[in-house]
Amino acid sequence: MQQYRYDGSFEGFLCALSRCLANGIEAVEFLPDTTVSETGLFQDLMVDVATDRKSAIDFRERFVAAVSTEAFAMLRYAFHSEHHGVELQLWNYVRLGLKAGPKLCSMMADKRVNSVERLARSVAREVHKYKGFVRFREVERGFLYARIEPEADILCFLAPHFVQRIGDRPWMIHDLRRSTAAVYDLATWRMLRDIALAEAPGYTDAERECSGLWQRYFQRHAIEARHNPKLQQKHVPLRSRKHMVEFEHS
Amino acid sequence: MTLSLEQRVEILADSAKYDVSCSSGGSNRKGVTGGIGSTRPSGICHTWTADGRCISLLKILLTNSCIYDCAYCVNRRSNPILRTALTPDEIVKLTMDFYCRNYIEGLFLSTGVIQSANHTMEQLIRVVRKLRVEERFNGYIHLKIVPGADAVLIEEAGRHADRVSINIELPSRQSLQLLAPDKPRESVIGPMRQLSSLIETARQEHKHSSKAPRFAPAGQSTQLIVGATPENDREIITLSEGLYQRLGMKRVYYSAFVPVSSDQRLPALSTPPLLREHRLYQADWLLRFYGFSSHELLDEAHPNLDMRFDPKTDWALRHLEHFPVEVNRADYPVLLRVPGIGVRSAQRIVQARRTSRLGEEKLKRLGVVLKRARYFVTAGDRYLGGIRLDGPQLLARLMAPTRRKASLDQLELFPAEADISAVTGEL
Repeated sequence: MQQYRYDGSFEGFLCALSRCLANGIEAVEFLPDTTVSETGLFQDLMVDVATDRKSAIDFRERFVAAVSTEAFAMLRYAFHSEHHGVELQLWNYVRLGLKAGPKLCSMMADKRVNSVERLARSVAREVHKYKGFVRFREVERGFLYARIEPEADILCFLAPHFVQRIGDRPWMIHDLRRSTAAVYDLATWRMLRDIALAEAPGYTDAERECSGLWQRYFQRHAIEARHNPKLQQKHVPLRSRKHMVEFEHS
Repeated sequence: MTLSLEQRVEILADSAKYDVSCSSGGSNRKGVTGGIGSTRPSGICHTWTADGRCISLLKILLTNSCIYDCAYCVNRRSNPILRTALTPDEIVKLTMDFYCRNYIEGLFLSTGVIQSANHTMEQLIRVVRKLRVEERFNGYIHLKIVPGADAVLIEEAGRHADRVSINIELPSRQSLQLLAPDKPRESVIGPMRQLSSLIETARQEHKHSSKAPRFAPAGQSTQLIVGATPENDREIITLSEGLYQRLGMKRVYYSAFVPVSSDQRLPALSTPPLLREHRLYQADWLLRFYGFSSHELLDEAHPNLDMRFDPKTDWALRHLEHFPVEVNRADYPVLLRVPGIGVRSAQRIVQARRTSRLGEEKLKRLGVVLKRARYFVTAGDRYLGGIRLDGPQLLARLMAPTRRKASLDQLELFPAEADISAVTGEL
């Protein structure tokens, strides 16, 4: 058993995959940097993989050329599910892909493909939902701040969407669950790690007025005769309401 | 009495909420650097209200004053409700404020008719022009067309809006005449025709040059009320089919009649006919994405949709001679006709069987729901139903209470599949 320790990032994981392929050993284990190795017994078998942008990109190009962009997207989305054991599933997926080639994605009835695809789909679904659920609040004149607590690590998928959309003012989306944040400064966006706010953000007067209007609008927009809170809850589960302005005080 | 902004927003939201269109998809526009707004082909829902309907657009009226007296409408002249208005500046500011906080995908602007059709249309255009030109708002705009408005104004409306709509309201000329005497059918169909040809022309020109000006890139839609007048489902679905085929309509929305007045011309309903509305949407989907035509679903002997089954199951029960079909061999259009198999499942079956022979296990793994489908398919030449297809058990099995299927979500997958979500169930 060969163990690979990487920094927990997607790029780092690609580098680890690349090393695995080079070493040619099939029985492997992946350890994100955050896990502490339990015993020193297998220290000899542990390889520390340095994250190197170029080798990550090389791996992507190799995989895309041998399989497809769609399969790579599958890999990327599934990785961000942070599902326990996803790295091994992806390692199997990659090996199968390099053998099967471009037809990998149509092998959805194969367990190895199917399990990855399911994870990828659930992440993609959550990304889509959060494109709607993110709520920005103006915390300082012209600066927007949003909090989210999604199941999967979706910030890297959300940020480009909001760069396209809200390009005329700086903003920040803060993932409280992972202490990460995507920050946009009018030119580009960056990912920050280990973020914690010293104190709860205060809102501007304009913010209070605007969110108040939205709450009233939201309340009044429901048609009484069609009242159906169960259907509402199916679409907006209680856990995603925590940071949505319209569900405050209700 | 002067009303505060909050009060006016509440009143006008109240007056706007019976317009059911919530779509924000069908338009694909990237953001401009440093600007505000973009649109996605799949559309995005931002929240859901207590009635389970999604909000994706700020749906609001410019004013709820109206010179018309349509019996079914909450804003009819004779209804004693509070009348108010928002200024164009107020609507622009609301839209921008809501949009940058990510409450909405854009604006759905409608209004009561004041003074005349043309005057009203001009007021609507003023708002969207301001948004697009002065604020450089690049998000989604759905603009209502006022029946009877001048062709020149209609043309300008479509230059700014992503989607335009004009509501047909009632399925037949007679009903319209009875309940909305101020809106002759021609004042609705005329503008629809004009829009249809402008949209088509712009689309053709856009194919040749990507710089050609856009005209309502997300097309036009319409809405009609179900249950307020005596038309049967066959008349309604045939009408929709005509609108889709002849006018290139993007969507027809059905709105279960919610009694908003005690007008004697209207039926007294205790609850809106929601199940009927649901069945009509299902039939509508069969027309647009499943290759069915209206006469297959409904005919003279069978003029209304069965409330017990979805319309595809109903069709299959009357055509058992086509079943069961073999999932490893059946053509895509044939798979689409199997009850319980939707567009996404059919596509996945076709894709997966290229590399592997499909049995029951593999079908399940693909995510194909077999609850209803099992009675109508064989997998690897094995019949999955376990009963005689022509016996009496089939009906009983299909009628067993089922959980409502969860296909009404808007899903978005990967770029390669982005267009699918519009097909699988955008409501």
